Formats: sequence, C-alpha cells, structure tokens
Amino acid sequence: MSGSEGAMYDLAIIGGGPGGYVAAIRGAQQGLKVLLVEKDSLGGTCLNRGCISTKCFIHDGKILEAAKTSQVLTGAEALSIDLGKMVARKRQVVKTLVSGLGKIIQSHGIDVVQGLGVLIAPGRVKVSLPDGSTKEYQTRHVILATGSKPAVPAFIEVDGHYVQTTDEALDSDDIPGRLIIIGGGVIGVEMAGIYRTLDREVTILEMLPDILTTEDAEIRRAMRRLLEQRGVKVHLKARVKEIAVRDNGTDVIFEDEVLGTEVLKADRVLVATSRVPVLDGIDVGKLGLETDGPFVRANERLETNLPGVYAIGDLIGGMMLAHKASAEAEAAVANILGASKEVKPERIPRCIWGFTEIGAVGLTEEEARATGRPVRIGKFPFMNSGAAQALGSVIGFAKIIGDTETGEVLGFHIMGPHATDLIGESVLAMSMESVVEELAEAVRPHPTLSETVMEAAMDWSGLAIDSPKKST
Amino acid sequence: MATEVVVPMLGITVEKGTILEWMKKEGDPVEKGEIIFIVETEKVTTEVESPASGILAKVIVPAGVEVPVLTLVAVITEPGEELPAKYAALSTQVPPVEAEKVSQAEQVPTPMPHQVRPAEVAEAAPGGAIKVVPAARKLAQDKGLDLETVSGTGPGGIIVIRDVEAALKPGPELAAKVSTLAGRLAKKEGILLQGIEGTGVRGRIMRADVERVIEEATAPSLGKVIPMDSIRRVIARRMSESAFTAPHIYFFTDVWMDPLLNFRRDILPNFEEKFGLRLSINDLLIKAVALNILDFPLLNATFKGQEIYILPEVNMGLAVALPDGLIVPAIARADKIGLAEIIRQRADLVQRARSGKLSMDEIERGTFTISSLNQYDITYFTAILNPPQSGILTVGKTRDELTLVDGAVKEKRVTSFGLSVDHRIIDGTVAADFLQNLKWKLERPALTFLNL
Repeated sequence: MSGSEGAMYDLAIIGGGPGGYVAAIRGAQQGLKVLLVEKDSLGGTCLNRGCISTKCFIHDGKILEAAKTSQVLTGAEALSIDLGKMVARKRQVVKTLVSGLGKIIQSHGIDVVQGLGVLIAPGRVKVSLPDGSTKEYQTRHVILATGSKPAVPAFIEVDGHYVQTTDEALDSDDIPGRLIIIGGGVIGVEMAGIYRTLDREVTILEMLPDILTTEDAEIRRAMRRLLEQRGVKVHLKARVKEIAVRDNGTDVIFEDEVLGTEVLKADRVLVATSRVPVLDGIDVGKLGLETDGPFVRANERLETNLPGVYAIGDLIGGMMLAHKASAEAEAAVANILGASKEVKPERIPRCIWGFTEIGAVGLTEEEARATGRPVRIGKFPFMNSGAAQALGSVIGFAKIIGDTETGEVLGFHIMGPHATDLIGESVLAMSMESVVEELAEAVRPHPTLSETVMEAAMDWSGLAIDSPKKST
Repeated sequence: MATEVVVPMLGITVEKGTILEWMKKEGDPVEKGEIIFIVETEKVTTEVESPASGILAKVIVPAGVEVPVLTLVAVITEPGEELPAKYAALSTQVPPVEAEKVSQAEQVPTPMPHQVRPAEVAEAAPGGAIKVVPAARKLAQDKGLDLETVSGTGPGGIIVIRDVEAALKPGPELAAKVSTLAGRLAKKEGILLQGIEGTGVRGRIMRADVERVIEEATAPSLGKVIPMDSIRRVIARRMSESAFTAPHIYFFTDVWMDPLLNFRRDILPNFEEKFGLRLSINDLLIKAVALNILDFPLLNATFKGQEIYILPEVNMGLAVALPDGLIVPAIARADKIGLAEIIRQRADLVQRARSGKLSMDEIERGTFTISSLNQYDITYFTAILNPPQSGILTVGKTRDELTLVDGAVKEKRVTSFGLSVDHRIIDGTVAADFLQNLKWKLERPALTFLNL
C-alpha cells in the first residue's frame, strides 16, 4: 500500500490526521483513487499528541478524584497515580487506535506513503521518504491537511524538560511539583485540570482579561471559579516577558497591569499560548498560495486559490478542532465530486475537558444579543438533576439561547458532567433546524443527564419542571 | 392600469368553460398568482390564477355561467385606480349558448359560490370518482395523499388545493420534508412551501431554501417581470410537454429552389387571371408537402397510448407568429384541395389568427406543421413538434450559392429544410426518405404537381 509513482491519483492528501484520514476514507468510499501522505504517524495531533492523550489522563485523574472524594470508599486516601503506568496506558491506547486506523485505511485500498509531502504544483505531490529519496505523484486533486503545531513565542526556548509544549508534556512520565501554564485557553485549562488532579501546584498565566475567551461569559466565569476552588491560580492580564531556566527550575518573569513586573518560580513551564499551521512542504510564496495571516486561505467550499487544491482543518484556522477538520474533509471530498458543501462554524461543537466538561455550540449570549435579534435564555442547573445527584457530580448548568420570535436555537452551552456528550443533541437540533420547543418536547429517559438539556429548553419557555417557580 | 381577466385556454380542444366559483368578490384585494376563480370544462376543472395584483374591481361573468374561453370575465385595477368607464358600463355578459339557463339573479355581478348548480357538479363525476381540481389532485399525488381521506370544500364538495393543503399540514409527511425553522419562516412571510426545492438531506426544505425564494421574489435586480398570460401558459405547457415526452430527431437538407421558383413564375400570370389570387412559394410548399405526406402516412400520425393512429386527411398546420405568442391553425385537407383553395384558406386563417378569431377546430385539426422563417435571415433551425403531431417541417431563408456544374461556376438559389419527427413513431430512415423525397420532388415541380 505504498503509492505508485506512475499512476494518476484522483486525490492526494498531505497529512493523515483527523482531516486527512477522513478525506482519504471518504474519497475511497466514493470510488476515488487516493494517496495519503503522512510524515509521522497516522491520526495526527489528535490521536498522537492531543485529544486522545489528554482524555486518557483526564479519565485517570477523574478515577482518582472520584475515589478520594467518595463518601463510601474506605482507604481511598492512600491512593495515588503511577505516572509511568498512566503514560504507558496512554501509549497503549494511542497504539491501538493508530494501528486500527491503519487497518481501516488499508481496507479501503488507500495508498499510504510515509514521508514529508511537498506540493510542487497543483496536481503534483513529491514525497521525501525517510531514507532520503523522493518520489513524485500525479493527482487530479490535492487536499492539504497538514494541521498545526504549538506556537512558541520567539523569546521562549522549548527544551523539553523545563520548558515544554503539549508535544512533550503529553509524553512525559515525570511531572514535577510546581507548574506554570502560559495560556488560559482550552489547552491550558485542560492541562491545569490534569496536573491539579495529580496534586501539583498549578498557575495559569493568561495575557487576556479572561480564560477561554471564545466561550459564553457565564461559562467562563463558572469555569474560572471552579479552577480557583480546586486550587489552580489563575493570573489574568499577565504578559510573560521571559523564562529563565535555573539549575533546577525556571523563573517566569511577567508583567501584570496592576502589580508591575513579577517573578514566579516553577519546576516546569508549559507553553500553551496558541497553535500555528504546519507549512512543511507547502511553500506558500513559491506556489502563490493565498493566506489569511499564518493560515492557508480556503473559501467556503474549502478551495484554495490554486486549481484543484483544497485545504482543511487547523491549516486554515478557525476552530482548531479535530471534528471541524473531519467535517471539512467530508465537505472537501463532496465538493471534489461536484457538490457544493460548506461547513458552518456555528454548527461545530466546542468541547473542553477541565475539572468538569464544557460542551458548546453556536453563539454565546453576548454574540446572540449583538445580532440584534430578540433573544431569550433558558437555564437548568445539574444540581436539580436526579441523575447528576446520583453520580455525585452536580457542578454546572445547561444554557440555551433562542430567538424569541422563531424559536431558533442560536446557541447551547453546557458545563457539567458529560457536557461534551450532551452537546450532541443540540448540534443535531440545530442542524435539523429544530426549535427550542422541540428540544423541550422530545422525551428523555429518566434518570439521565440528558434531561438537563430538555429542562433548559423547557425553562426557555418558563416551563422547567424541576425548577422552582420563576419570580416575574 | 386595469388588467383584464379572461377564461384561459384550457387545452386545445376546449372551447368553453363554466365558472364554478369566484374565490374573490368585487372589491377584494388580489395577488398575482392567487386563485381567483374555478372554471369547469368538459374535460377539466381548474383553478385560475390572478394575472395581476390589485383590486378585483369588477366581476363581469358570475359563477354558474358558461362562456367561451378567452372571454373577459373580470377586471383588476390597481389600488386607487378608478374602474375605466368602458368596463364600468359592462353588465353581466351572458353569451347566447347558456343564456336560457341563467336566472335573473345569477346575472348580478356578485359571486354566489354555493348556489352554483350543485346537483350538476356532483353528478359530473363519472362513476362516482372523487371530484377534485387537477392542481389539488397533483399536489395530493406528489405528497402521496389518499384523496379518499380529503373532504372537499369547493362547490358541490369538489376538492380544491386548500383542502389538500389542510389535509397535508398536520401530517408527518410534509412536516418531515420541511425543517421547523423553514416552516415558521414560510408561514411568517406567507410563502407556500409546495414547489420549493429542498436542499437539505433527502430534499428536506431548509430555512435557506425559503430565504432563497423570498430573495428571488424581492430581488430588485431581476428586471421586469412578465406575467404569463393564458396563451403563453398554453404554449409553455405544450412545448415542454412535447419536448419532454416525444423524443425528437432532426434532419436537414438543402433544396435547389430555382425550379420551383421558375415554376411559380411561369404559372403566375395564368393563375392570377383565373382565380384572382396571388400564388406564393409557401402555397406551393404546402401543397407539395401535403402530397409528399401521402407517400409517408406515418408522418400524418399521432401516438395515443399503445397505438399509432394514421389520420385520413392531411391538415397542414401553419405556425403563425403573434405579437405575444404563436398559434398553429391548419388548412383542412391540404392534400385534396386545389392551390386556389389553399391560398384562400391560408390567407383567411392567418388573418383571423392575428385578430384572435380562430375556432378551436381550426387550431386543433392539424396533422402536420410547416414552420417557415423564410423571411428571416435564418439559414436553418429545429422545431419542437406540435403535439400530438408526429412531424414538423422547418423552412429557412432562400439564399444564393455558387456551385460547380460541369466545370462551370453557376449561381443557385438554395433553401435549407429541417424536419423534426417523433422518434417513438418514426424511424430515422423513414424521416430521411420523406425529406429526401420532398427534396427530389421540389427540385422537379412537375413530379409534385402531377402527383407522380
């Protein structure tokens, strides 16, 4: 299943992450002759250095936390996590998934080439193989799906031990006692949760006035409070100036708007400021490929300005999420086959796994109000959910934002247990153009967390069952 | 400007119709495209749309009265516009055909929907079939709705569109095909969901589809919108029906015209002297084609169900362009009658076509059609069959061409002829033989007119 140079491919994909491999499989399912070029390991950041890795750790941490906070277990105080085993389990999970993915790709007759894919011109892809040789392939269409990598400010040097990005952090089997996370975005908040659950001292330094700035203000507030309650120090409006590596630790020098220059000591610094597109093999200038800032520019049909060249996923910016890349992959393949498909950002769910989960889709309340449309909010706390009480996980709430006139679901925001799973039905409702009343009407099984979604939708009409009467 | 409302042409064989019900009464505002009355003929019962938006200022023909098609039945004025005096003076017109049936009361120009011959309407349904207007039947069919379950609210219990819509509305069938947001938007904007193309999964109508329809309806950049009058609607329907049901094949040939032109020139003085009529090349063509058809009876056939009917007479249809349409009256028995009779019929039919005074029989009887653009600078063209005919001949301009005859360059007059035939009935070789034979004979007029 290594590609053949002489053949004419219908579709060559550079990058085998959740964008690229989905495009490859979908293309093959539709009868296209597909070449998939991956320089590292199938599955991309998501499988190898991102989503799946963090979810393993978060799960392990949750088991520990649940045991320790259990009111019925005895002897739980003595429990601790074996970091080596935790990382080993993650590696095993990743290995299982990557090899499973390889088999699936093989079963579809997709040619996979291991090496750095280079777009020479539309229709021409060169691969630099690990042994130093190169191969060139002809193709009718190209999908660029090279993904992203952690962005590191110029003044910071990542040494892999004292200063890490997630690439290193998620494969370290040691985690020292004091950690500083630079960046209070999704990655920072998730890593803070993992480290803190392992009883490490954690400080988040965020340059902006709030963490998770893309999320609804109420959600942000609740998550920040939860972080602080769990002992994570959150320092906002903190501009990091320098990281000085000492003999056995680091000094992080940052500027605070009020306090002026401050120094914080840590055993390790995690740089989680942002991510930048991977442009290895894509010589933007030489190709004449148009960009949007650091990202490759693609139109709504995922077409770049080069004929027959599409770009998807983190490479084109927007929400840097695996499922956004996958959705774009499907749309790009459909468009190659003559459709006219777009991926609407307002239908892409956003998920965050912190001390508790956040699942959100659509507009935040601020964004919804800014549209000038008549907006009403429905809310329901997990505290009032029988299922959440039984699980012992009552933090958070579900919040629906609907157009008062049409009932259109403009946004849905959930913070709480299994919020990332629960957001799915709101995504479905929005995709089907269902209205708030329909989300309220559909019967949910009892006792489940899904009732929270239903009750929030009912509350939108002032009709939640498990809420006290609203004062008017 | 006031707009006249007429009983539309309801098929080529339909001459008159009875207004069953006025859906609007005098003084009501009406929207272009809104159903304003229901008309019943021997063959169909149909809903008639308003040709314009405005006020239904005058109803000239009340419900229950039978009138010929294209009869003026009402006038729509723009809001604030006074009813022009020429209409105001009109009282209810009751044509002689039905005058004796209409009572004094029914002559008052106000609608009396539920007094309209209820017994007759109910009986009109043959064999106890469900009485339903065609548009409603089609809608029900499209939506898979069993008409047995629908109760009609039209006159005499006839099922009209609104009944089918009402029956469809709460059902899961339609709801599943329209997203809730799309449905709500359509309701708010007063958009009818039927006919909107759904771009969602499995053709589901999504909000964007309704928005597109709204946008199209309000787009100022569309330029002038020309409402289709009844003639245009008939043309549109018949042409698309023909184009999409009869598989067309096309044949072309160049005919050397000098012999026919000379033939005409030679007989012209004597002909004029004897008949007092001016013989045109067209008349000669009509006769020649009619005679040629006698050798190819399949070109004088129609296709009905599982059988091909060869028609006994050649009635030669002539496509006559009108300022805003096209009509095809036919010269009766063109194969049998003399050239003088052809000239008389042709002149009379063309003149009456232009003044809108053709009878239905004259339009309907054609068995083959000639469409000539000889006066235009058009070399050759294809034509769509005039259903249910099986052939149509097109005639381009007569042009000068140079040809090599025995090593010398000679000037020739040439006309391109095109033949479109219904391939269900006529094979390519039959059509080719027909056209080739016609060419052979036109180039040797004596063969044609001695009918050799």
